Amino acid sequence: MTNTLLSLNEATRTVNSGSNKVTLLDNIDLQVKEGEFISLMGPSGSGKSTLLNCIGMLDSFTDGGYTFLGEPVHSMKEKNRSKLYKEYIGFVFQAYHLIDELNVWENIETPLLYKNVKSSERKAMVADMLDRFNIVGKKDLFPQQLSGGQQQLVGIARALIGQPKLILADEPTGNLNSKQSTEIMELFSQLNKEGVTIIQATHSEKNASYGSRIINLLDGKIVSE
Amino acid sequence: MIKSYIKIAWRNIKGSPLFSSINVLGLTLGLTITTLLFAFVQHENSFNSMFSHKDQIHRVLVETAESYNNKTYATAPAMVAPTSIEEIPEVLDAVRFLKHGFGEAAYISTGSSEFIESSLYYADSSLFKIFDLKLTQGIAKEALTKPNTAIVSKSTANRYFGTDQVIGKIFKVDDRLNIEITGVFDDLPANTTLDANVYVSFATSFFSRQPTWSNSSLETYLLLAEGTNVSALKSKMQTMLDKFVEKDAQWYTLNVQPLNQVHLYSNQIENAYSSRKGSIEQVKSLSWLALLILVIACINYMNLTTARSQKRSREVGVSKTLGASVSNLITRFYAETGLITAISIVFGVLLALLCLPYFNQISGKEIPSSMLWSGTFIVSLIVIWAITTLLAGSYPAIYMSNLSAKKILSGGKIGSFWATRVRKGLVVAQFGASTILIIGVIVIYNQLKYIQEKDLGFNSEQIMAISVNGINEASNVDLLKLELGKLPMVSNAGAAQGYPGKTVSGRMVQNPLEDDGGLAVQTNRIEAKAIELMELNFVAGKNLPEIKAEGDSLVDVVINKKIADYLGYTPEEAIGKPIQMLPSHNSFIVGVVDDFNFASLREPIGAYAFHNYSSERKEYMLVKMSVTDLSQNLMSIENSFKKIAPNVPFDYSFLDKNIEKLYLEEKQTASIGMIFSLLAVFVACLGLFGLAAFTAEQRDKEIGIRKVLGATVTGIVKLLSIDFIKLVAIALIIAFPLAYYIMNNWLQDFAYRITISWHPFVFTAICALGIAMITVSFQAIKAAVSNPIDSLKTE
Repeated sequence: MTNTLLSLNEATRTVNSGSNKVTLLDNIDLQVKEGEFISLMGPSGSGKSTLLNCIGMLDSFTDGGYTFLGEPVHSMKEKNRSKLYKEYIGFVFQAYHLIDELNVWENIETPLLYKNVKSSERKAMVADMLDRFNIVGKKDLFPQQLSGGQQQLVGIARALIGQPKLILADEPTGNLNSKQSTEIMELFSQLNKEGVTIIQATHSEKNASYGSRIINLLDGKIVSE
Repeated sequence: MIKSYIKIAWRNIKGSPLFSSINVLGLTLGLTITTLLFAFVQHENSFNSMFSHKDQIHRVLVETAESYNNKTYATAPAMVAPTSIEEIPEVLDAVRFLKHGFGEAAYISTGSSEFIESSLYYADSSLFKIFDLKLTQGIAKEALTKPNTAIVSKSTANRYFGTDQVIGKIFKVDDRLNIEITGVFDDLPANTTLDANVYVSFATSFFSRQPTWSNSSLETYLLLAEGTNVSALKSKMQTMLDKFVEKDAQWYTLNVQPLNQVHLYSNQIENAYSSRKGSIEQVKSLSWLALLILVIACINYMNLTTARSQKRSREVGVSKTLGASVSNLITRFYAETGLITAISIVFGVLLALLCLPYFNQISGKEIPSSMLWSGTFIVSLIVIWAITTLLAGSYPAIYMSNLSAKKILSGGKIGSFWATRVRKGLVVAQFGASTILIIGVIVIYNQLKYIQEKDLGFNSEQIMAISVNGINEASNVDLLKLELGKLPMVSNAGAAQGYPGKTVSGRMVQNPLEDDGGLAVQTNRIEAKAIELMELNFVAGKNLPEIKAEGDSLVDVVINKKIADYLGYTPEEAIGKPIQMLPSHNSFIVGVVDDFNFASLREPIGAYAFHNYSSERKEYMLVKMSVTDLSQNLMSIENSFKKIAPNVPFDYSFLDKNIEKLYLEEKQTASIGMIFSLLAVFVACLGLFGLAAFTAEQRDKEIGIRKVLGATVTGIVKLLSIDFIKLVAIALIIAFPLAYYIMNNWLQDFAYRITISWHPFVFTAICALGIAMITVSFQAIKAAVSNPIDSLKTE
C-alpha cells in the first residue's frame, strides 16, 4: 500500500474583495498518494492555480485542514513551513521563471545553495542533472539564449535538483508549441514512473491524459474525478 | 552562497548600465564629498596628537576681569614659566614661544639673498623635551641655549641656502641680529599648532633679559606631572601670582588649556601666534554637511534600486519558491549594495584624491594626500562603507525580501500603500535637505557680501600698507614717505602703528568722574596724513597736527564717538579736554570721528583712538593710490622703497584684503558649502529621476489604456509630473521654516547682520521645482510617447 503524501480536509480559501467575501476554494477534500500524477482541470478562475499555490504553501487556506506527510501544515509557523517545502516540493511555472542573471548551470544549482549543500556535492548533482536532460552543452548559456522548450527543461531540472517528493506544475506547457509540449509531458510521465508525485494544472485534455487521475474544478469546488 | 550573490549582483550591474552608472555616480559623488570632509575632520582632530607627552602638555591662558572686557589670551608674561617650575611641583617643565615682532614677519638676510620669514619664533631649549623635537643635524643638548643661535627646518635651510648642510651658517634678522645656525630639524607636520620654520634661542630675545609679570606676550606650554589635578594647579598658580605680584598689578588670572583643545577650541582666545587655527564650529558644521550628503546619496540609492523592483521582484519570487528564506534574500540585497558601495567608495576616494588640492585651496588647510592612505583612514573608510551599505541597502533589502512570492509570480502589482509612502517620503527628505543647503549657502553668501559692502566708516579701497619694520632709522621712514609722495599714482602717504583690521595696542580710558575701571580702547600711533587718507568722518574738531615740534611733550588724540559717549561729552564738548589713556599726562582730545568698524562685524564697534605719542613704533606706511593699474603702481612703489631700504624685503598688503581675511572662516565654509550643496542637489535629482522612471514603469499599463482611450501626450505628461511637483512642494514647505530657523541662528553671531528676506526662498523654490520638472518630464514624455501595444501585451 502506498503512503498518503498529503490530504486536504474541507480546505477553504476566501478573500475579501471590497465588502464582498469571495470564496476561491470551497471545502476541498483531497487525498494525494505518493507516486500519483494528478491533472487539475477547469476553466479560468475555477481555482486551479490557487489550489496549487496553497498546496505549495506559497499561499494558505483560510479554513480547513492540510496535512503534508502527516504534519499539520495549517497550524505551522512560517519558518517550518518554508523548511518543509524547501525539502519536499519543487515548482515548475508556465513562464519558466528562470533567473535572468544566472546561466543554466547556476540556475539549476540555486536551490542547493539555499539547502546549504556542499560545493563538491553540488557540482556532482548539477552535472548529473545536465546529463540526464541532455543539456550539458548549454550549461554556460543564459535563459534569454534558450528556446522556450529548453528554458522549461531547465526549469524542470531546477525543480528536480532538490530531489523533491512532489512537483507542482502550473500550466507547464502553456507557453510552448505542441512539439515542445509533448516532450515536456513525456518527461513528466517518465519522472512519475521513477516515483515522483506530480500535480499539474492544465487546460489541455491531451496533457491531462498523461496523468493517472484527473480532477475537475469549477468555482472552487471539485466537481468530478 | 555569498559568491553566488555577488555574481548575480555583478551581472545585474552589467545588465543595466544606465541605471547602474546613475546609481554608482550618485553614491560616488556622495562618498567623494564625505571622504573629503571626513579627511578634513580627521585632519583637524589629529592636531597635536603626535607628541608623546600630549596628555601632559597644557597651554597657559591669561584671563582678564570684566574691566578688561573678560578677554582670554594665549600669551602669558615671561615670568610665568620659570616661576611655575620652581613654585609648583606638578609643573615639570615649561617652554615659552615668542613670535618675531609679536606676530610680524622677520626680514632675513643671508648675505646673498633676502627673505620674508613669517614663522620665526624665539623658544626655550625645553622645546626638545616637551615637544619631542629631534634634530637631524646638530646637538639638541646644546641647541637653543646660547644667545644669537637658531635651529631651522630642513625646507627653510634649503630655501635660505639651497642646501641642508647649514650648521655654522649665519643669517641676519631685521638687519640687526646676527644669528648662527646650530641645528636642523625635519619640517613639522601640517597637523600641529607648532608652525615654526626657525627657532631662535630664547636667550636672544628681549624678554630673557627683562622678564616681567606684566607684559603678556609669550605663548607658554607647561609639561605637567601625570595625573595632575587641573583645578588644584589653578589655585597653586593663583598662590604663585599672589606671592610675586601685588594685588593692584594683577590685571589677570592664570588658567591652563590642555594641548588637545588648543587647535579646535581657541576661537575665543586671542593673541595665539600659530597660523594654524581650527574651529570646532567649522568642524561640526562640515561634519553635519558630510552626514547630510551621505544620507542624500543613500536615499538616492534606495530610490533607484526600488525603482527597479518590478523587474527584480520576479527573481525574488522565484528564489523564494526555490527555498530562499527572508534572511537569504536580505543578505543577497545587501551583497549587491555592498558591491556597489565598494565600487563607489573606490571611485570616491580616487576622485577625492584628485580634488584634494582644490579642497585644500578652498578650505585653507594642508591636508596631505598621504592621509587618505593612512591606516586609520582606511579603517574609517571601511566603517563608512559598512554604514553606507547598511543605510542604503536597508530599504531595498527589507522591502524586497518581504514581498510575497505568490503575488509577484501571479503578475500582480507590487508596491503597497506603505512602500509608496516610504519612497515618496524619501524624496521629500532628500529635496528638503537640499533646499536647506541651498538657502543656507545663499544666506551665508548674502551676509558676507553685506559685510564686504557695508560702509565701515572709512574708505579701505586702494590703500596699501607697506611694512617698514625692517627700516631701522626713523629718518629713513620719513624719507620713504617723501619719495612715495613724489610718485604720480600716490595721492597720499603716512606712517602708522597699524590700521583697521589689525590689532593695535590695548589700553584703558579712565573717566575721572566714574570709578568703573575704565573703558577698553584700541590705540594707534599714527601720522595725520594716514588718518586723512582713510577718509574718516570727523564730527568735531580736527585731525592730528601735521608736524610736531621736536621736544613737544603735548600729545594730541583723535577719539571715536564711543569714547566721547563714555566720557559723557558731546563731540563738540570733547574737543580740548584732557584724556587719561596714554602713559603721558599731557594728552588732549583734538578731534572726534564717527564710529567706524575697525574689527570684525561680529563684534559691535568698540572704542578707538589715534594719537601721536611716541610709545609705539610706526610699523606701516599707509599709501593711498589714485590710479588703478595695480602692477604698474606696485612696481613704482617698490622701486622707491628699494631706493631707501635696499636690504629690506618689500612686504605689503591691501587694507580691503586684510578686512576680508577677518571673515576667512565663513568664506571657506560658504565656498565648501556652495560646491557641495550643488552636488547634493544634483544627486537628489538623480534620485528623482529614478523615482520618475519607477512610476512610469509602474503605471505602464495605465498609461497604455489611457492612450488607447484617447489621452494626449501632454495630458499624460501632466498626469505623471503633477505627483512629483507635489512632493517637491511639500519638501519646500517643510524645509523653509527649518532653513529660516537654522540660518537665523547662524546670523546671531554677527553684531551687524542682514535680515533674511524672501528672495532666497523664492529663488530656491523656483530652482527646485524647475529642476524637478525637467528631471521628471524626461521620463514622463518617454512613457507618454511609447506605443501602448508594448505595455498592454505583457500578459
